[in-house]
This record gives sequence, C-alpha cells and structure tokens, in this order.
Amino acid sequence: MDIFSKYLKGDRAIWLITLFLGVASLLLVYSSIVTLAYKHSDGNTLRYLVRHGFFLLSGFGIIYITHNIKYNYFSRISQVLLFASIPLLALTLIVGTNINDASRWLTIPVINQSFQTSDFAKLALVMYVARMLSVKQDEIKDFKKAFLPIFIPVVIVCGLIFPANFSTAAVLFAACLVLMFIGRIPISQLISLASIGIVFIVISIGVAKFAPALFPRAETWVNRIENFSKGDQEGNYQVEQAKIAIATGGIQGKGPGNSTQRNFLPHPYSDFIYAIVIEEYGLIGGFLVMFLYLMLFFRAIRIVLKSPKTFGSLLVVGISFILVFQALINMAVAVNLLPVTGQPLPFMSMGGTSIWFTSVAIGVILSVSREVDQNQAHEIPEKENNELNNQEENELAVA
Amino acid sequence: MDQQKAILRRLYIVFFLICLFAFGVAFKLVSIQLIEGDKWISRASNQTTVYKSIPAVRGNIYASGGSLLATSVPIYEVRWDSQIKALSDDEFNIQVDSLSIELAQLFQDKTPLAYKRELVEARNSGSRYHLVKRNVNYNQLKKIKEFHIFRRGKYKGGFIYHQQNKREKPFRALAARTIGYERDGVKPVGLEGAYSATLSGINGRRLMQKIAGGVWMPINDENEIEPKDGADIITTIDLNIQDVAHHALKRQLEKQSADHGCVVLMEVNTGNVKAIVNLTKGADGEYYELYNYAIGESTEPGSTFKLPAYMVALEDGYIDIDDTISTGNGKYKFYDTYMYDSREGGYGTLTVKDAFAFSSNIAVAKIISKYYSKNPQAFIDRLYKMNLNKPLDIEIFGEGKPQIKSADNNSWSGISLPWMSHGYEVQQTPLQILAFYNAVANDGVLVKPKFVEEIREYDKVIEVFDPIVINPAICSKATIKKVKAMLEGVVEYGTAANLRNANYKIAGKTGTAQIANAKYGYKYESKVSHQASFCGYFPADNPKYSCIVVVNAPSRNVYYGNLVAGPIFKEIADKTYATSVEIHDELAYIKHSSKTRIPVSKNGHLKDITKVFEEMDITTKINDGSEMVISSTGDKQVQLYGRKISKGLVPNVMGMDLKDAVYVLENAGLNVKVLGKGTVKSQSIPNGRKIEKGAEIILELA
Repeated sequence: MDIFSKYLKGDRAIWLITLFLGVASLLLVYSSIVTLAYKHSDGNTLRYLVRHGFFLLSGFGIIYITHNIKYNYFSRISQVLLFASIPLLALTLIVGTNINDASRWLTIPVINQSFQTSDFAKLALVMYVARMLSVKQDEIKDFKKAFLPIFIPVVIVCGLIFPANFSTAAVLFAACLVLMFIGRIPISQLISLASIGIVFIVISIGVAKFAPALFPRAETWVNRIENFSKGDQEGNYQVEQAKIAIATGGIQGKGPGNSTQRNFLPHPYSDFIYAIVIEEYGLIGGFLVMFLYLMLFFRAIRIVLKSPKTFGSLLVVGISFILVFQALINMAVAVNLLPVTGQPLPFMSMGGTSIWFTSVAIGVILSVSREVDQNQAHEIPEKENNELNNQEENELAVA
Repeated sequence: MDQQKAILRRLYIVFFLICLFAFGVAFKLVSIQLIEGDKWISRASNQTTVYKSIPAVRGNIYASGGSLLATSVPIYEVRWDSQIKALSDDEFNIQVDSLSIELAQLFQDKTPLAYKRELVEARNSGSRYHLVKRNVNYNQLKKIKEFHIFRRGKYKGGFIYHQQNKREKPFRALAARTIGYERDGVKPVGLEGAYSATLSGINGRRLMQKIAGGVWMPINDENEIEPKDGADIITTIDLNIQDVAHHALKRQLEKQSADHGCVVLMEVNTGNVKAIVNLTKGADGEYYELYNYAIGESTEPGSTFKLPAYMVALEDGYIDIDDTISTGNGKYKFYDTYMYDSREGGYGTLTVKDAFAFSSNIAVAKIISKYYSKNPQAFIDRLYKMNLNKPLDIEIFGEGKPQIKSADNNSWSGISLPWMSHGYEVQQTPLQILAFYNAVANDGVLVKPKFVEEIREYDKVIEVFDPIVINPAICSKATIKKVKAMLEGVVEYGTAANLRNANYKIAGKTGTAQIANAKYGYKYESKVSHQASFCGYFPADNPKYSCIVVVNAPSRNVYYGNLVAGPIFKEIADKTYATSVEIHDELAYIKHSSKTRIPVSKNGHLKDITKVFEEMDITTKINDGSEMVISSTGDKQVQLYGRKISKGLVPNVMGMDLKDAVYVLENAGLNVKVLGKGTVKSQSIPNGRKIEKGAEIILELA
C-alpha cells in the first residue's frame, strides 16, 4: 500500500473502481467479440483482446499522467480545447469517416488513428462550462454576463455533434444543463434552455421527415423512437435479444465466457455489453457494475465536500456526472428503459480511442482529488490550531 | 460559503435523481427476469438462429485463347414479403394490377388475373415469403426490379430474391468430359473435380433467423462474412483444334458405327494438351462425351507398342534398323501358339525399318524372343526405365493404371515375351501411349501431359504451370534418331502411307488390337472386337504436335488402324498445321522470269496494282496518274491508263474487281448490289449519268 500511496495519488476508491472496470472489460470484451473476430480475422479473438488490452493499459498510463497535472491548468486549457473542438467537429461532419451514414470519426494524419471528435469535444465542453461557472459565480444570476457566455458554446458544440450523433449530443446537452444547475444558474433560465433544446429536436425531426437528404441519420432516430414508443417489440430484434440475454442470465449468470446471446446481439462488445454482463454474471454482476458507477459519482461528491475551490468541484461533478449518466443510459437501453442509442459503457465497452478520453476524464477527477488531499495535508497544523472552528464549519458544509 | 452550500444542495438533488434513474434501471432489470422471464427463456430455447453459408461464385474455366469453357450463370428465385409495413393497403391495391400485368407479360406463363389472385392471396394470408417465380435469369431479374411495388425494394416493397448458380458450358459437348463437373454425392469429374478447391472459393456466412412459417431471413449486416470467389483456370485447350478434332472423330465414329473413340493432341515440348475428345455411342446412336477414355481406359495397345519394344533392342545394341529379319510366310509358332502377320503369305525377309513400317508382328516377336528369352527381365527393366509402367499422375481423377508385368509374375508364360513385344499382355491408356510417342518426338524428354496453363484471380495471374519433365531421357539420342526414321517410314511407304502429303511430314505408327471380350476372350472369332489406333507427331522434321487417335469396336468390317484412325489423324493434323503458320516452311522466293507471261491484272486502284507488279519485278508504265486505272498487259510491261472519275457522274467500273468497284461507287453515293463473281462485266447505270444519291446500281460480275 506504500507504493500505492506513493505513486497513485488521489481518491483510492476511484482508482479501485477504474481497475475493476478495466478487468471486467477485458473479460467481457474477450467473450463477446467472437462474431466480430470471425468476420474480420478468421476467428482470431486474441488479436482483439491484445488490442483492447493495449488501449486499457495505455488508458491507465493516461490516467496516471493526467492525475499528476495541477487541475487549475485544465481551467486555462479548456478554452483552447473548446475553440479547437468546434472546427474539428465541423470538419468531421464534412470529411469524417462514414459509418452507418454517421460522420463521427476523424483520422489523425500522422499516426493514422481515428477517433470520435465528439469524445474530445465532450471533455472540452464540460471543462469549459465548469470554468465559466466558477468564474462567474458572483454574478451567476445575470442573464447577459453569466448565462449567455456559458449557454452559447454549449449550443454550438451540441449543435455540431447533433447531426451525426443524436444521443451523444443529447447526453452532453443534459450534462451541461445539470452542471449549470449545480453551478447555481437560476432554474427559470435552465427551463427555458431545456425547452429550446426540446423544440430544436422536434423541429429537426420534422425537417428530417420531410427532407431526409439533410439528415441521413434522422430516419434511424425516428424509427428507433417510433419502435420504442409503439411498444412494438416483436419487430425490434436488438431489444428482444437483449431481453433474452437478461432473462437467461438469472441471478448468478451463466459464468464467464458462456454467453450465447453474443452471437445474436449486434455490438455485444459495446452498445449491448451490459446485457452480456447480466447474461454471464447474473443480477449480481449487473448490480455490482451499476453500483461501481454510482460509487464513482458518490466518491466525486466526497471530493467536492473536501474541495475548497468552486472550479475543482464543478469539474469533478461535471465529468463524473457525464460518465455515470452515459453508463446509466447504456444500461437503460439494455433493459429497454430507453430506445436504442449508441452510448457505450465508459471504460467497459471495447472502444479504442474512446477509452483514452474516458481515461483523461478519470485522470482529471483524480487530479482534483489529489490536490484536495495534498492541501488538506498541508492544512493539518493549521487545523490543529483551530480544530473546533474548522470542525464546526465542516459539519455545516455537510449539512 | 453560501455559494458552496447552494452548490452542494443542488448536487444532492442531482445525486438523488441519478439514484432514481439507477433504481429505474434496476427495477426494469428485475422485472425482465421475474415477470417476463419465462417468456424470454422459452424464446431463447427455441431461438432458431443459424449461420447459413453464402456460396462463393465458382471460378470460370477458359480455353487457352480466352474462350469460356465453363462458367457459373446466376439464376434467381423471386419472392415477396407481402407483410412489409411500408406498403400500405392503398398502395398495394393501386399497384397490384400493374404488377400482375407486368409479370404475366414477362413470363408468359400465367394470366395477369392469375398473378393478381396469387399476390392478393399471399397478402391476405400473411405470407412473408411468397414464391413469385423460380429460375429467373439475370435479364428477367433486371426487368422485375423495375416493376410496380417491386421497384420499391426489399424494405419498402418486400421484394426478395435469392441467387443460385448454375454451371454452364458455352461450347456444350466440346471437351465436356475433360472440363468435367462437380455435383453433390457424385465423384467429381475432369478439371472441375481436379481443381475444385481453386475454383470453388470460400463460402461466406450470414446469420439467419427463422421467422414465422419456417422462413429464413437475414438478421443484420454485422454478422455477415463476405464470400471469397473462386479463381479462374486457363486450360491448355485450343478451341479451334478441339473443334476440328471433335468433328473429325465424330464423323468417323458415325461412319464406322464404332462403340467409342478418343483423340488427344499435345504440344510436343510443353506437354500442353491442345485437344482432348472422348465420344461414346449413346442408346440413340448419337455420340456423347460420357467417359474420358483417353485418360481412364487402360487397354492392350497393340502395334503402337512395337515402338518401345524396338527401342529396347536398339538401346541394348542388339539390332540396327538396317539389319534383316526373316518373317517367313506370315505364320510362326511361338512355344505353343501361332502368330500371324496381316499380309496373306507373309513379308518374307525384311529390314528392321521395313518390318516396323509394315507392322510385322512376327519380326518384332522374333527379335525380342531371340535376344531376351534367356533374360526376359532385362527387356522388362528397359520398359520400366522408359516409365511405361508408371501412371502419369495427371491431376484429373481416374487415370487408368499401366500394366507391364514383371518376368517373375505368376501369369508369365512362354508366349508372354513375343506377345508383349507387339502390344498384348500389357496395358496402357491412350494418353500414356501418346506421352511416350511425344517423348520420342521431343528427343527423349518425357514431359507430363498438362491441362492447365495458369490460374487467375480476376485478371491477375496467381499461378503459372510450367512443363513438368518426368524423365529427361528415356533412351539415348542415337536410338531416338533411329526410331524417328522408322516412324517416318510408316507414313512414307508403310501401313500409313494414306496419311502422306506434300506439305509436311507426319511420323507415327498404326495399331490394330484385338480387344479381349469380357464374355468370350479373344478366341471366339465372331465376337472379336478391335481397337484401331494411330499415334504420331508432325511435322516430322521439327515436331510441334503429337496426337493419338483411338477408335474402339468399329462394327463395320474395316478395323485397321490406318483406315479407321488414320484419316481422323490426317484431318486434325492438316487443319492444325494449316492454322499454325509459325511452323510452316518458308516459301521459296520465285523471281518472275522473262520467259513466263506477265499475269493479267484487273482494272483498279493505281497504288495496289503498281505495288504488286513492283514485287514481281515487272515494269509498269503509268500514262496518267489518277487514282483508278485501266491496266493493259503487254509482253514486256503493263500499261496503266488513268480512269477519270468526275464528281456527280456515275463512274465507269467495268473490268474492276469488286473491292475497287464498290469503293468507287459507294464513295460516289450509290448503293451497290452484286451478282456473280469475278470482274465487273456490266453496270446497270451506264457511266456518265448524273448520280442520284442512294440510287441502286447492280453490278454483274463474271
């Protein structure tokens, strides 16, 4: 444990959660890539395992590096990142690699690695919103001074992600709303912002229905939503197969590597990985995974409690919220609580570069946590002097 | 601190909501297991989802010139999902009549009303896989795709089609047995069988789910593995030679009413099989490619086997081709059995060369008996050394095994040696005999008969088959030289003199063997059947092709190799030689001598005429340099007078040949009709008339 505390700083629980998710991810991905492996490499599943293992391992490297960076630095860099992400998103829409009519991927020229620009923009935007909220805390109720400078970038980024990837845009938009809510933006303003978002979605679906050429993806969304709302599950193959996976998993599951539904489910290694979790590890495994993500958010609140600065708090809350929210949406899709979307389970789904971005996110949380711990350590002598006062204050804060 | 507190308060609200969301997920999860559980578990147990293979397209088989010998033609089965959601009742009702009429017009097999009834019934009964039509070809499919309802496609119109592949041989009977086929449950035949792995490619697979009514539907794209199509095979078959050989053999078989026959033609130094024909008389008296006799039928070859017998004796130095041998009166007793020569009264005393040319059985039997009866194994060993006991190991299945028994074999008898020497008590397939003769033509180098030049994937060559040398020298060069002279003698003055011709030399050997009848053996005279053959090569001076012709059981009384098989050989050799310009002797240049008369030329194009005469060293005198001229042949030179062609007036084409006449007239805008052949003797519109564009002018040629 000495080595642990020497090199791996910050919240120990978050480290353990991440490690656990990573190991689980290896097991599940290895089990569920059979079909993909048969399609692309004559059934060589090991190749995918090695690749995925590489991304996870390097992901931990990224967490380590990121968590050693002073988090104030993210406040400054968030502006640069945000301004970089807008042209990148626009570029992706125009030239991006087309998968299922959705331009989501951009290839980095030199190293020839493609990545989803929305992953990048997501991080940048959350950091930026956290920064702006903390900067504007004193005039937070002012519509022009506080609300607009925060609100405009959110709309631009989400608007650019929206045509290719509806669900990511929606998750990001919701996360920003929640973050703004926590950052004390007045509820009335938030409600109007939310209604703008809803109206926008309704209009664009309407446009898509009458002019499908403008939004090639719109047909997919409309179908998915219609399928879901009609409750016409007989025709919805994916949902049916996911339910079979869940039902046959039972309480204890079929055991590691014993999934049969991996052959029937599309994307069993990403979009429907939670169904495979339940099939192989049962309700126990399913609840455990869900608990881990909730725990992540809970630990984030713990950091906020200890964090003296608003930016650090909002950064941790924003990032952890988006991770947990995304995870819950993935699970909700698997259990058919929500219509089918393409949200992966963070740090668990096979996702290549998206694992790296998740790693950066976790690294940022740990970075805040590390500094909070260190500050506390420095404050100890002071604390001893004013022990009573401080304790009172802490109790107040908790209440 | 107020801010911090407010933030925390709001944070707790969010955490509460997140937990609520999680609780919702958990609740749904448990409810799927507990409430709907049984339903889904039972669904899982009869989940009928299966990987079905998507067949790869089989590669083509080509002739050496690129013509298609075998290919897979797609045929389609058209079906219709009548329950497709995107097709509303209104749309269906409006369009079903048009669709029915279109279908009826295309297939002409049912009335539009009948089609309509079927479609409506399918929709009412909820069929998701209604069979519209089987065995639809590609062109029909293309049209169907444009029909009402169906043109909406799979998802909006319910239009479904499946491709199946049918193997077709565009040249039908040509080399059909050698091209072969592959069918389930039948031993694969020919090149289709031999190169099955190459041709068939790798099947893909697709996840299919059984839906209501026992119908399989593909599930999604992700689970598909694309099939890898098979590679193409370029055979050595030359379609022109194959065609000639096929018809030459067929004609002769019909004439002789023979049971069956085969022809193989091979390129001498590569072993490339340029033609291989196998014909069997069917029950209806017609001839079909039913069995690959050339490759599979191992029989006693008869006289063609004298060649190796003599080669053994020549190689051992016991005889030379000018040595003489007495054959007596054509009847000679070996041990306890008489042997006869075909000529009544016998050949008397002959040189070895002549004995071979006239195919004396007694001569070869006496020679071999004389030198090898004390140690017959020496004779056998020599034959073995020339690879006659080993199969050629060609890639096509079912090669007949050659048999040359060893002297210590149980069936070895006192007459074995003399009888083996003229082709009995041994067995060879036609292809094996041909390969042996080919080795002689190829100066002793025994090459393996080859059927495939290369394998191609799309247009990329992926494997080239080089000639395979089985034995670099079956005997000494001196022996080769001697037997070549003997083989030429056969055609020059021997049994195959009927094949001799002036243009090029053929060398070869006739063979007439009695075939052991399964029921009666050789002895029951009236039931004896024969196998007539001729094996040889041409041009003898510089052999390019070797060829064997075998005709079995000619039922007319003619059964000698030279009369039955010889003409087939000659016809094939003549046509092959005629089309192989590269092996022709160059014609000697003959200078026009002043003594011979100058050939008469037709009127016509100035440049053409002067060019021809220039080549012949005949002087031409051009009196007038217009494009068309009238030629006048003198004793020493040719006078050329210009023929004036005025624009707008019908030109004079009298005395021209057709080519020039048509050129001139059609250029002038007239429509030419022709009667007869030769030079123009009359034109229906006289020259000098004004031309009406497009008017018809009739030329009479004589």
